[in-house]
Amino acid sequence: MEFELATLSPSERALQDEVRTFLAKTLPSDFRPGLGIAAPHDPSFSTLLAEQGWVGMAIPVEYGGQGRTAVERFVVTEELMAAGAPIGAHYVADRQTAPALLKYGTEQQRRQFLPPIAAGECWFSLGMSEPDAGSDLASVRTTARPADGGWSVTGTKIWTSNAHLNQYFVVLCRTAPLGEDRHAGLSQLIVDLRAPGVKINPIPFLDGSHHFNEVVLDGVFVAHDMVLGEPGSGWGQVTSELSYERSGPDRYLSTMPVVREFVRAFGGDGASARRSAGAEVYEAVGAITARLWAIRQLSLSVARSLDAGAAPAVESALVKDLGTCFEQLSIELMRLAMPSPLGEIGELDPAGDSMLERLLAETVLTGPSFTLRGGTTEILRSVAAKGLGR
Amino acid sequence: MSDEIRMLTDAVGAIMTDRCQPGDVGAAEAAGWAPRLWDALAEAGFPWIAVDEAVGGTGGSMAEACAMLMTAGTFAAPLPLVETGLLAGWALAAVGSSIPPGPVTAAPSGPDLQLLRDGATWRLTGRLYRVPWASHCARLVTIVGTSDGEFVLALDPARGTITPGRNLAGEPRDTVAFDQLAVGPDEIWPAPAGVSARALLLRGALGRAALMAGALSRVSSLTLRYTSERQQFGRPVARFQAVQQHLVRIAEEATLTEMAVRTAAANSRPDPLDFDVAATKTVAGQAATTVAAAAHEAHGAIGMTREYELGQLTRRLWSWRDEYGSERYWSRQLGQRLIGNGAEQLWPALSVGVQP
Ligand SMILES: Cc1cc2nc3c(=O)[nH]c(=O)nc-3n(C[C@H](O)[C@H](O)[C@H](O)COP(=O)(O)OP(=O)(O)OC[C@H]3O[C@@H](n4cnc5c(N)ncnc54)[C@H](O)[C@@H]3O)c2cc1C
Repeated sequence: MEFELATLSPSERALQDEVRTFLAKTLPSDFRPGLGIAAPHDPSFSTLLAEQGWVGMAIPVEYGGQGRTAVERFVVTEELMAAGAPIGAHYVADRQTAPALLKYGTEQQRRQFLPPIAAGECWFSLGMSEPDAGSDLASVRTTARPADGGWSVTGTKIWTSNAHLNQYFVVLCRTAPLGEDRHAGLSQLIVDLRAPGVKINPIPFLDGSHHFNEVVLDGVFVAHDMVLGEPGSGWGQVTSELSYERSGPDRYLSTMPVVREFVRAFGGDGASARRSAGAEVYEAVGAITARLWAIRQLSLSVARSLDAGAAPAVESALVKDLGTCFEQLSIELMRLAMPSPLGEIGELDPAGDSMLERLLAETVLTGPSFTLRGGTTEILRSVAAKGLGR
Repeated sequence: MSDEIRMLTDAVGAIMTDRCQPGDVGAAEAAGWAPRLWDALAEAGFPWIAVDEAVGGTGGSMAEACAMLMTAGTFAAPLPLVETGLLAGWALAAVGSSIPPGPVTAAPSGPDLQLLRDGATWRLTGRLYRVPWASHCARLVTIVGTSDGEFVLALDPARGTITPGRNLAGEPRDTVAFDQLAVGPDEIWPAPAGVSARALLLRGALGRAALMAGALSRVSSLTLRYTSERQQFGRPVARFQAVQQHLVRIAEEATLTEMAVRTAAANSRPDPLDFDVAATKTVAGQAATTVAAAAHEAHGAIGMTREYELGQLTRRLWSWRDEYGSERYWSRQLGQRLIGNGAEQLWPALSVGVQP
């Protein structure tokens, strides 16, 4: 395992400033920040961001993207997450689908999907989990049978984030019967979420919001040219795809907008809701920021090594685990340090007067998902443990 | 890692491998001093890295000093390396005094130490607590505030009364008491710009964090090795997922601390920044607690023996996490400062990282 010390170059710092200034101008001062990748789905924001060249940054220019580096993408993502920008519409397509299309897609698929992804207009969900296949993804049962000109897909996907809002999802399914090698015979298909035979059922999220869905596929026709990569190569693709999504800024900045509100509530510029800060408040802010500062250096180091052509799978599992556990810890540190408006005995009011209270309530309710989505803590640690000895 | 740093680390490591095995550390704990190790390190100039060559130092950057200290921490080196170079060497160089040849200790002064003018002489009264290896050092450097500003003092600790003490790792931490001691003209200097009790504390905290980063990485490799050798239920205990969780947590915390130290060292020009030190010592302190607990759990009873190497490292981590300020001390300082700067300055401060 090796983490090189990474420094942002002058042009990367200039980009950081540019994004920061843009967001300060664009996001209304009274807006409610989103929390990381669960931030609101806002097509107009995605389009606006794409106009600045900050969507599809990793997509080459010939496919409508910007051909920028992983570190440049890191810089922009950080600013978006830190501000709590509403990136919900384009984020998954940008982070996950575009690189997969670039790596495995046909020329025609790239021409069809990459330009609209880079324009912030084409949004993807992920169709991996099923009722009986969670961490053990190879046990998916959704099946595609040959049909005239393509495949007929039947099965049920679950926990599909934003399926009710997005246009497509990439479905992991069996295209050949389960044999000796359970990793063989799996494929990824690009499925139109509005195709006949697709039924999207909402599953209310813990905080009452609509985020999760069950997506039932009943004989949905998928043309041959919508297979991502070769039929049968799905397993290798999803496992490498999982590593892209592991250690970026969305793994340690989900609670950053809350931390900022926390500081505002006690700080010099919190004119309205200023409270007097005691030692425990200082300690909470210090403990949170110290850790965040160090984790960020690790994540940046991974981005830099991606640009150098490395495949830091173990490093990114480690950073994701550190980052997501940190996000959860930050919630508890703030909760315990925050004096309740009701005095010593009080509780969080999800409809409270202050933004801080409302956001903190949201993180308490959604926080458990930080260490589940994109691979659970336990699975990540198994990945990391295998790589440690090396 | 740059080539120079790698070469330095290798050279320090070679001396340590030869002269700082767990048996040597145990012997030093009993005797209070490690003469063979000191001689070899001093011969190569390692204790004075980042101290100006003009006054007899070795020169080099804070990054190099921290790399040396990380290696020293890996071996639980029982010597005042932070004090001799980063603290005393730095302060002496700043006042233009040449560096004494042997080990020199240093300590942050507290309210119990007073420096008062008595006609033409300064008199020192009070105590310095938990001074590393005071009785083995020919000089003790501290920085004391007076109504005329701060002064750098470099005294022979034997001119005071030394009461020996130890930390949890058996490293000498002595109390030195002075009673109306007349300070000679070659023992006191007005503190130049940039030299202050606060700056000494920051350097001490970063130096300790560097030692801690080294010790943490050694605990990580030791635990990995032991759990892959130790068999229970017919297989190495490292095959059990519950044990793997400990291994990963340990590796994470060690990696995080090392990254914090390297970032803070890279930003030192030549002094470390307040923000960086506060964050780094906080991270190191949290890591020490987590790692020591997990490593002992994964080792079982063998880790609780005096002979086995783990304890030499964890006992140091438990001391070093508090020396020059615990994670509580530093996180409060950091939080107070960030809250004072206001919400809109928070993210900009956090996202600077390594400064250009
Ligand atoms: C907010 C959120 C959004 C999501 N969005 C999507 C999405 O858009 N598309 C999608 O496909 N999926 C999505 N998921 C699903 C997510 O990928 C799964 O939750 C995750 O992979 C874990 O699967 P599971 O929930 O079935 O838990 P299980 O796999 O059933 O795990 C239950 C427990 O057992 C542990 N466990 C399982 N196997 C092992 C093992 N081998 N060793 C040790 N422990 C083990 C797990 O760590 C966990 O603690 C989302 C999840 C969340 C929380």
